[in-house]
Amino acid sequence: MDEQIFRLSPAGSPRATILFVPPLFEEANRTRRTLVLAMRALAGAGFAALLPDLPGQNESLVPLVEVDLERWSDALADSVHGIDGPLIVASLRGGALIDHRARAAAWWRLAPASGASLLRTLLRARVSADREAGITSSIEGLQAAAQTEALLLAGNRLSSAMIAGLAQAETRDVAPLRTVALGSGEGKIAGTPLWLRAEPGEDTAMARAIADDIIGWSRTCGAI
Amino acid sequence: MTDTVDANLRAMLADVLGLGEDRAAALTADSGLFGELPEFDSMAVATVLTEMEDRLDILIDDDDVDGEIFETYGNLLEFAERKVRG
Repeated sequence: MDEQIFRLSPAGSPRATILFVPPLFEEANRTRRTLVLAMRALAGAGFAALLPDLPGQNESLVPLVEVDLERWSDALADSVHGIDGPLIVASLRGGALIDHRARAAAWWRLAPASGASLLRTLLRARVSADREAGITSSIEGLQAAAQTEALLLAGNRLSSAMIAGLAQAETRDVAPLRTVALGSGEGKIAGTPLWLRAEPGEDTAMARAIADDIIGWSRTCGAI
Repeated sequence: MTDTVDANLRAMLADVLGLGEDRAAALTADSGLFGELPEFDSMAVATVLTEMEDRLDILIDDDDVDGEIFETYGNLLEFAERKVRG
């Protein structure tokens, strides 16, 4: 099934296309607005910017419980077919776990997260919500149950395959790659970790910094 | 060490709860967290635990975690300092 792709195009033919791979689960909602601001800045600088829906996320019609990290990696690889000109894949947080299969001229990653860390937070949210409801559960108990059944974690119904995949997932080697973290100085983006935020926020300066860093990388990596 | 843990914890709560520097700096030992700050829901509790592990380089056994830790800032700080001491 085809998924929606949000696309911003420059006036005239693009210098390159930037495919954004959003963070996973709730973190995607928290960062979406700032990502789209970065896409607008990129379009203003002559780049095409794409933000695809992963199957089971955002406005996708696919039930989340039917997907896993393999399917997401494949869906991203499919989404870049037919793109003319140089392509740079730009991923955030857990997006960096599924960005390697798409064929690109270069990769850019912001604050990549391990699958184990993302899964741990989801399991903890479930334990915390259970405790509020007067139910006793534990991370170990949930992990054992996940081997044979899907689990509802922080509003996400995740299959055994998804949970097992997350537990193991680390970023894969790709080249050329630039990885940036939040902070100040070379290799850093000034801003706040919006993906952690309990209430969604936005950061215009950070969006600008993301766009500028990607534009700089598109030149130094030789993609354009 | 105590000052670093305190500063780290305030910065982390500012990030997770979107408190801003001023509100984070104004937290006292008696400041209520869970049940007091509307932003502090079960997802925020989970995020705070995982971020504490990353930023303070500690491991948190979830069996050690009970609701009291999140009642006040003072309780959370005491828990974090105990974990950092090992």
